Amino acid sequence: MNLIVNAAEGFMGLFDAGALTFVNWVATIVPKVLLLLVFMNALIALIGQERINKFAKICSGNVIMAYGVLPFLSAFMLGNPMALSMGKFLPERMKPSYYASSTYHCHTNSGMFPHINVGEIFIYLGIADGITTLGLSTTPLAIRYLLVGLVMNFFAGWITDFTTIFVMKQQKIELKSTL
Amino acid sequence: MAEYRAIKIERGSGGFGGPLTVMPKEGKDKVVFITGGGAEPEIIEKIVKLTGCTAVNGFKTSVPDEEIFLVVIDCGGTLRCGIYPQKRIPTVNIMPVGRSGPLAKFITEDIYVSAVGPGQISPADGSAVQEEKIPEKETEKNREAAAEPERKFKYSTDKKVSETLGETSKSSIIQKIGMGAGKVVNTLYQAARDAVQSMITTILPFMAFVAMLIGIIQGSGFGDWFAKLLVPLAGNGVGLVVLGFICSIPVLSALLGPGAVIAQVIGTMIGVEIGKGNIAPGLALPALFAINTQCACDFIPVGLGLAEAEPETVEVGVPSVLYSRFLVGVPRVLVAWVASIGLY
Repeated sequence: MNLIVNAAEGFMGLFDAGALTFVNWVATIVPKVLLLLVFMNALIALIGQERINKFAKICSGNVIMAYGVLPFLSAFMLGNPMALSMGKFLPERMKPSYYASSTYHCHTNSGMFPHINVGEIFIYLGIADGITTLGLSTTPLAIRYLLVGLVMNFFAGWITDFTTIFVMKQQKIELKSTL
Repeated sequence: MAEYRAIKIERGSGGFGGPLTVMPKEGKDKVVFITGGGAEPEIIEKIVKLTGCTAVNGFKTSVPDEEIFLVVIDCGGTLRCGIYPQKRIPTVNIMPVGRSGPLAKFITEDIYVSAVGPGQISPADGSAVQEEKIPEKETEKNREAAAEPERKFKYSTDKKVSETLGETSKSSIIQKIGMGAGKVVNTLYQAARDAVQSMITTILPFMAFVAMLIGIIQGSGFGDWFAKLLVPLAGNGVGLVVLGFICSIPVLSALLGPGAVIAQVIGTMIGVEIGKGNIAPGLALPALFAINTQCACDFIPVGLGLAEAEPETVEVGVPSVLYSRFLVGVPRVLVAWVASIGLY
């Protein structure tokens, strides 16, 4: 009998943990992202799709803009996870790559700019604490974290371009490369 | 008899539906505009020029439905944007309004197009003209609505006060300000409607299913167990490269992502060891990269949903990002290792 009770409790426990995560997301991510979406939708409508398209063309025109500059600026200005929403200005084919780059940017830049990723700053702090314990400054670490990130996050996005092409062939799905 | 030509009307920024290809013909050559203020919208001129049809102000003159080949409205998403689609008369809405209002179910892409400006209208070759469809059912209400403009009440129930004013007088400045404010409010309202829509249809479902997976991984203790297993690797550079490699293995990376358990457990432990002097402080940099090669691998569907990606993009994007994380994971640690030279 106990065995059944334990098994049932264990089973429900799996969903309790998931429910907590879900509630946490709904409480933190949904309101912020929703309002940001409203704001951006309104902005796009007021500015006009043509001008937005021009902006998007600049962003998607070359990979350095799309996976280097855009995610960096988005992460800095919008933080995690709202920075991910800027991928909407890119064609479908580039969205996975933008995701790959911008999610990394939300981490590598958070040493220098903690506001980017308040929720997961402990990843940086966990290690940086050791540096502080030794009586050293963490700033050089934060700067190098950011600089190495800047270069390698771009490659993370760029490589995803190729894996996307690979997966498209595998799944026989063709994603649009134009807006 | 005038010569008629076909035009193609596409949706504009934030619009819905279309493209429509329409062409007037003898006896069915009227474009009716029923727009706020009774003022002629700028697209009317272009439609008339391109097609050779006749423009009629629907507020001033009543036109039998059979003579209408196209209706232009500026409905903000209440009743009117559905009336003509219900009668299967091609409808152009100047406002960026999708399927909304009580008649939303009649607003389909083959009969309705919105957010249309002059830029969205272009000549088309006649071959693609839409098949004329006979109105399926003419309800009593529709007939009433059609007959209404003939009655000369000052305010009528199917027009806003602003529209009635526009009908009776030329636009004044105050009226223009009012219309402008109305347009801004309308745009914001539509923006909010779209945002809530994509939240409900895309983002929340992805969140639910990713949260369920995360729950199973966390609830079963897999993440913690695995993190403890990897801890011994963190002491030296080569170990960090191996750690980065393991964390980036496709599918495993998605299992290790939840709650950033790996990053948290191993990261904290590395920090403690650096503090104790057991690990060289310079290794802090490659360690930061090594513990996070699986970054956000569990969040891909939600993240792509935030970028308003299509379902196919998510299907391709999930394996694609997993693969690219794998390819770029070890190089990241190596580059960071090299870059840590002279750090402390």
